[in-house]
Amino acid sequence: MDSNNTSKKFKEQLIKNVKKEVKQIMEEAVTRKFVHEESGSITSLCAAVEACLSQGLRRRALGLFKTSSTTALLHKMAKNFEPASIISQKVQEMENIDPNKFKPIILRRDSMASPRICPSCILNRRGSLTWLLFSNEKSVVVSPFRRSSSLTPTRICTCTLNRRRSLTWLLFGNDNSDSCATRAASVNSTLTSSITLPNVHPPPLTKKNSAGSGLGPTSITLPKYLWIRLALFEKLLAVIIDHLVQNCSKYYEKDSLVADPDYGSILSSLLVGPCALDYSRTKSHDQFWTDPPADELVQRHRISSGYHTSPPCRTPINYRRNLHATSNDDNQRQTPISAKDYVESLHQNNRVTLLYGKNNVLVLPKDVTEPMAGYLSLHQTANSLIIKWTPNQLMNCHSPGTNQNDHPEIDASDKSQYWDYAMNVNVDEIVYVHCHQQGNDNGGTIVLVAQDGVQQPPIHFPQGGHLLAFLTCLENGLLPHGQLDPPLWPQRGKGKVFPKLRRKGRSQVQDISNDLSSNTEESRDYVFQIISKARHEEFLSRGEEILDSKIWSMPSAANNMLNKVRGHLESSSTNSSTSTSSSLDPVASPLLINNQTTSKDTGDSLQILCETMKKQIISRAFYGWLAYCRHLTTVRTHLSGLVNTVIIDSSDAETGLTKEKWHSFKNDSNLVNDDTKLEIFRLTYFGGVQHDIRKEVWPFLLGHYKFGSTVEEQNAVDLHCKQEYETTMSEWMAVEAIIRQKDRETMAANLAKLSSESTSGGDAPPPTPNTSKVLSQELSNDVRFMQLVFEDNINFSSDEDNPPVVDDTQLEHNIEVCDNPTSQPNINEHLENIPKEIDCDKKSLSSDEGLGKDEVTEKDMTIKKNTSEDTSLYCPTSVIVTTNISQEKSMENSNDENDKIDNKDNNNTSKLAVDDNEGAGGSNHEQRSACISPASSQGGIYPVELVENFGLNVHRIDKDVQRCDRNYPYFTLENLDKLRNIICTYVWDHLEMGYMQGMCDLVAPLLVILDDETLSYSCFCLLMERMSANFPHSGGAMDTHFANMRSLVQILDSEMFELMHENGDFTHFYFCYRWFLLDFKRELLYDDVFTVWETIWAAKEMSSSHFVLFFALALVETYRDIILANHMDFTDIIKFFNEMAEHHDAKTVLSLARNLVLQLQTLIENK
Amino acid sequence: MATRKKVLLKVIILGDSSVGKTSLMNQYVNKKFTNQYKATIGADFLTKEVMVDDRIVTMQVSKPAPGPNPLCASIWDTAGQERFQSLGVAFYRGADCCVLVFDVTSPGSFKSLDGWRDEFLIQASPSDPDHFPFVVLGNKVDLDNRAVSTKRAQQWCQSKNGLPYFETSAKEAVNVEQAFKTIARNALAQESDVELYNEFPDQIKLDGGSSDNRSSGGDNCAC
Repeated sequence: MDSNNTSKKFKEQLIKNVKKEVKQIMEEAVTRKFVHEESGSITSLCAAVEACLSQGLRRRALGLFKTSSTTALLHKMAKNFEPASIISQKVQEMENIDPNKFKPIILRRDSMASPRICPSCILNRRGSLTWLLFSNEKSVVVSPFRRSSSLTPTRICTCTLNRRRSLTWLLFGNDNSDSCATRAASVNSTLTSSITLPNVHPPPLTKKNSAGSGLGPTSITLPKYLWIRLALFEKLLAVIIDHLVQNCSKYYEKDSLVADPDYGSILSSLLVGPCALDYSRTKSHDQFWTDPPADELVQRHRISSGYHTSPPCRTPINYRRNLHATSNDDNQRQTPISAKDYVESLHQNNRVTLLYGKNNVLVLPKDVTEPMAGYLSLHQTANSLIIKWTPNQLMNCHSPGTNQNDHPEIDASDKSQYWDYAMNVNVDEIVYVHCHQQGNDNGGTIVLVAQDGVQQPPIHFPQGGHLLAFLTCLENGLLPHGQLDPPLWPQRGKGKVFPKLRRKGRSQVQDISNDLSSNTEESRDYVFQIISKARHEEFLSRGEEILDSKIWSMPSAANNMLNKVRGHLESSSTNSSTSTSSSLDPVASPLLINNQTTSKDTGDSLQILCETMKKQIISRAFYGWLAYCRHLTTVRTHLSGLVNTVIIDSSDAETGLTKEKWHSFKNDSNLVNDDTKLEIFRLTYFGGVQHDIRKEVWPFLLGHYKFGSTVEEQNAVDLHCKQEYETTMSEWMAVEAIIRQKDRETMAANLAKLSSESTSGGDAPPPTPNTSKVLSQELSNDVRFMQLVFEDNINFSSDEDNPPVVDDTQLEHNIEVCDNPTSQPNINEHLENIPKEIDCDKKSLSSDEGLGKDEVTEKDMTIKKNTSEDTSLYCPTSVIVTTNISQEKSMENSNDENDKIDNKDNNNTSKLAVDDNEGAGGSNHEQRSACISPASSQGGIYPVELVENFGLNVHRIDKDVQRCDRNYPYFTLENLDKLRNIICTYVWDHLEMGYMQGMCDLVAPLLVILDDETLSYSCFCLLMERMSANFPHSGGAMDTHFANMRSLVQILDSEMFELMHENGDFTHFYFCYRWFLLDFKRELLYDDVFTVWETIWAAKEMSSSHFVLFFALALVETYRDIILANHMDFTDIIKFFNEMAEHHDAKTVLSLARNLVLQLQTLIENK
Repeated sequence: MATRKKVLLKVIILGDSSVGKTSLMNQYVNKKFTNQYKATIGADFLTKEVMVDDRIVTMQVSKPAPGPNPLCASIWDTAGQERFQSLGVAFYRGADCCVLVFDVTSPGSFKSLDGWRDEFLIQASPSDPDHFPFVVLGNKVDLDNRAVSTKRAQQWCQSKNGLPYFETSAKEAVNVEQAFKTIARNALAQESDVELYNEFPDQIKLDGGSSDNRSSGGDNCAC
């Protein structure tokens, strides 16, 4: 019973795993519409299925003894089951690949943990061997291999590290051994021959290889769970497993999972879903390399980075330090970068080639008693070789990701001690490599000595010839422009060996410090000099006359120094902080000079040289200092305006404005003095407002209520706003009614036109009688010269859903020629008196089509074409709306029905009907605007431009309101109407600006919180005082934002700035457009929007009226590593942030933003 | 094999608001439709790898928003430019194809096509404006209340040097694939004018490597 239970539990667990993986893969498919064949979830799903299938398999009975018994099972099944035989065949095909022919192969086996193997395999060794498969330019894909005919059509030619035996480049092509493949092979052999390393260890982040790789350079590793994988891709897995379940007795033990009556069928039906998915390779494979989705980028970053590398204020501070730094400080400076670089370079990215890697190399860093084990690697970049050593502590840390750390900098400091130990040495700066070997093969130690004489901590290799291997790689890496002196000796069959040297050859043995050189006789010590040919030759050509040949060991360093100094003098005026800090070694150089002056045969010429160098170094230091001063001046002048000078203390404010605190401020039902106000702002700024009281607090924060105002005063404000709001509403609703009317007509005309076109069939253009043309051209300029006179007699009884069609029997068009538009009363008389029939064309058109017969529009319409002699003082174009008796009746009806129009409004309307334009009354703002009250059209004269302008705006508003946050539960139809009213009212008051996309998004959160139309309107107006300038046409605020962002990034993150600068000017900052336009409303979830908005409002009083800039900067900084690592350009960044919308960790970003403000404040305060 | 170029096609989608630009883009790239799209603020980009005549191209579809306010026709030249000043020409420059979208149920959006076309030509200032590849899409054909006839749209396209015209439904994925295929091909034709550096020195050249010649691009690609 017990065993029964455990086996049941085990089965349950197995099924649960499958379920989980299926769910995972289906989710992946939902978001991307396909699953990439190399997706990690496929592997995990296959593993789960495999586990299920292995359980209780009758191996013995079936004679399955292979390790991969399920594969054998498949082959067994293949004999009598068609789908299985298909898969079986394919598996065999895959397994029997001739290793000489390249076959597309799945590379990233375990994508979750596998190294990032970059598509851009630039195996150019300093230009000698160029093999460009993928350009590293963004969004460019070149795939050198054509789609192969077989089932795994990959277009990726890629290189990877085969870690078992040697550093190997695997190139996968297709079956045709074409020129590319040949070339691949040659590259392959070149590399393998030149870099033959015993025991190159895997980069620690990689997982174990699943398939054997003992096949040498061209070995191909098949993915795990091959047949399950293939069956899944072929969408046959469910069928096969179903077959297994049906015939379980044949293959499985009774108590196995597959044979289980429940679990068996569950298993097969679970897999139906994944089998219905599309698995793609080509599409996403390329997409994967060129454009991984944002979340994947973030995830990759999380996996690879245990270190947050954005101390945003780094540059200015480090700049200062570097002025007085010794060369050893370079390491510290570079550590944050090397952390990122390290991860990058581990995985063969497009910029860095990994030449050598070895783990558990011991190094004894300064201030540490015990040697530490770490990973030593040699990287080749485009123009330099870099030796890195990273302590195991860093290699093994898997940080949960920066997002979860509220204080990244604290987290960073925990590991920073290890980063201090890490080495990152540019070989260019190394002059000597000292090698010490103990015993026969007891490992060895190398010491790198820089040109300034400073030694790197000794690097101790474990035994096994690693030292030699390293040197071999180093030598290879130095080619063709540099070399080791003395060179390693090639030995047939054994690769390179140490040169057999006279003990005191050309190498500078005397440089070895005493304790090291006093090693036993057996120890074979070497000193290699790293010679850069280019420099050496350059020097020889120029320096022979100056220098005695006996001190030839100095020149490369000296010359290098000179070059650098010269280079700096040229560049110092550019004010670039990074360039100065990276190359300046003011302390190191005197050391060098001392060395030189103590040389025996120092000639006068050398002294002169040294003098010159001294001067240059001093002048360089001066220029550096000057540049730094200028730099800070720029900071101050550019950015001092952005932040308040007073730094507000954040103590006790993290809790934010809670209900209790709020009520404690609210004594005597008012908020008294400015202290309270500041305290409220302070609490809000640092901790936000508790959600329950936002409704109360926001009007204060936005300035709707004054702090210190009494309840009566607040009520008065409310009442005033309400009245104004309603008045404005009634005004635009009157116009809206006209717009609706016109829409109907236009619609009718369009329908008529459309149907006439479709029925006419011929090539001749449809007849366009004057009137229909007028009607259809709602935007036409012709309208300008036209006076439309409406005399409305409209029956609105039908609802909107019915197509508003002109009923020809009831359509009466009155055309009247009016000579003098100034005499408006006359027109009205005219209209009533002289109705005319519309011309026949129009009528016949509509009757021809037999369009609807509902009584949508019954109207008298007068259209008058103004003749050119019109020189009236009045606006030549106007729409005159008059009211006849029947309409007034209907208006009264509607009033009665709705019972919401007060007398005052009615009085107004009668007056307004006489006055033009002052507004029309009788509207009901609660009413859905689509159901137009006829009353709204009862009077008033509106210029055609006004009507048209507002009409356009209304149409735009309608489109956007419908689309605004429709998945957010608050926005029911009713609330969307409120939203619409608020915007229409605002736009009516600001017609010169008009509606612009984005306004909806600004109103929405206000409405959600305040849940009151009038209040939201008032707050929106206040909000727009700041925001309106961001909108195009109404101010250059957006450009100012961009410019400020640019300055901020320049000051606070020069690396990022360089990237952005590379890709053009600050149009690059267009990715911030939506951020600034909507105060990040689209970037964050609603709850976060509330908090961020409050903070922005409070920040105006607390720290900076440009807090948005800092929040934006914080967003950029949060993802800076990803942006930099992927070298994103203009479009990449936009795309990245679009995809990241609503996935940000607002709290972290917000606190980072506050920190950034603080940093800038400090920076400026420091002077 | 056809020349192995680095091909990135930049496609710009323009049209009045809510004609379905985002939907079309997403239908094409992600094969999905939702009626939950919000009005696009800022610009939107999507990329997709496609095979065009045996070449893989990356199509980068982008749409700027908000669009210019076509308050009346006269504003176009000035206001349109002004509005996009922040965005700069960076957005338009180097476009290989411009897709003009209108909503077949909205005559207004159809009338705006002229303006959008002009806007694009001004902003992108292509070298040969007369032959720059535009493709016109009449979207939302799944709706009943159609207000712009096929004929009218075709006439307009004819009047502009015979632009390709497709009637699409992003919702029901009608014609979207075909339309974008044409877009890609036309864009590629535009692109092929520009000689691109080929990093394989010993490329195998085929006769008749023009992008229209589909047969030549067939199986004789060596790799």
